[in-house]
Amino acid sequence: MFRWYCVATLGALAMLLDYLVWLEETPFSTWMRESGPAFFSSLVFHSVAMGFVVGVHVATNLRILGVAPRVPLTLMRRFFSVLWVSLVVVSVSGVLLLAAYPAKGLTNPVFYFKLVAVLAALGITRALLRGCLRDPRYDDAPAPKKARWLAAASLLLWAAAVTAGRFLAYTHNMMMASHQY
Amino acid sequence: MDTLLAFGQRSGIYDFMHSAWGWPTVESLHFTGLCLLIGTVGVFDLRMLGLARGIPMHALHKLVPWGVGGYLLNVTTGVMFVVSAPDQYLFNPAFQVKLSLMAIAGLNVLFFYRFVFGPVRAAGANAVPASARTAAAVSLTCWVGVIVCGRLITYYRPPYHWCFWC
Repeated sequence: MFRWYCVATLGALAMLLDYLVWLEETPFSTWMRESGPAFFSSLVFHSVAMGFVVGVHVATNLRILGVAPRVPLTLMRRFFSVLWVSLVVVSVSGVLLLAAYPAKGLTNPVFYFKLVAVLAALGITRALLRGCLRDPRYDDAPAPKKARWLAAASLLLWAAAVTAGRFLAYTHNMMMASHQY
Repeated sequence: MDTLLAFGQRSGIYDFMHSAWGWPTVESLHFTGLCLLIGTVGVFDLRMLGLARGIPMHALHKLVPWGVGGYLLNVTTGVMFVVSAPDQYLFNPAFQVKLSLMAIAGLNVLFFYRFVFGPVRAAGANAVPASARTAAAVSLTCWVGVIVCGRLITYYRPPYHWCFWC
C-alpha cells in the first residue's frame, strides 16, 4: 500500500514538473522572461496597483473601525472605482509575472497562502458591500460589531498578502522546472 | 557613506538585515507603510481631484494621521535598508530620483498646509479650489513615482547600471 502511494505521488510530481517545463517553454513565457521591459513593467504595475488595492481597503476599513466617523460610510463606495481598476491591473500583472516563472510560484506554498489571503479579504469586502457599506443607517452611526471584526480581519489579511508577496522573492524552491532535470 | 555603514554595524541593524529573514521582513513592513500612505493621503488626494464628491474634506482628513504613521514606518525601514548597503543606494539613479520626488512631495505638504488647507476645510463637501487640485495632483504623482522608483532600485544597482548623470 505504502509503496503504491509513493509511486503515485512521484508519478504525479513528475507529471506536474513536465507540465511546468512545457509551460515555461511556451513562446509567451519565454518572452516574459527574456524581454527585460515586459517583466519589470509588470513588477512596477503590480506594486503600484497593489498599493491602491490595499490603500482603498485601508481607508474603508479604518472608517468602519471608527476612524474619521463623520465620513458618510456609504459614500466610501465612491472610491471603489479606483479599487476595481487596480484589482484588474494587479490580476493581469500577477498572471504575467506567474507566466514568466510558472514553476517558481506554483511550487511555492507561500504563493497559495497569498492567493488565499487575497481571496478571503475580497470575500470580506463582498460581505461588507452587501451589508453596512450599502446601509445609510450607518452613515453617521457606529458600524455594527460584526462589520468591525470583518474590517480588522481584512486589514490583517491584506498585511499578510503583502508580506507573502515580498517573501515570494526569497522563499522559492526553484526558478525553472527545466533546471530540475 | 562610511558613517552610514558604521552606524548600521554599530546599531546591529546591519546584522539583522543580513540575517536569514531580515531583509524580506523589513521590505514587507515598508510595503505595508506605503499602503497606509496611499490609503489615507492618496485617498484624500483623490477626493480633492473630484472623486467621491459628497464626502466632507475635514471628515476624510481624519485618516491622514495613519498615513503619517505609515510614512514614519517607511522612513525607519528605509533607513534600515540604506545603512545595510549604502553603496547600493547612494549611487543608484532610481534611489536618487526617489529621494528627489520625496523632497518635492515634502515641499508640496508645506505648501498645502500653509496656503490650501484652510479653503479646502471651508469648502466642506463642495467643489475644491483649483490650488487644492494642483496640490493633490502633485502629491499623487510624487507618491506613485516614489513607488515606481522604489521598485526599480533593484534594476539600477551599481555598478551594473548606466544613466546620463552618473
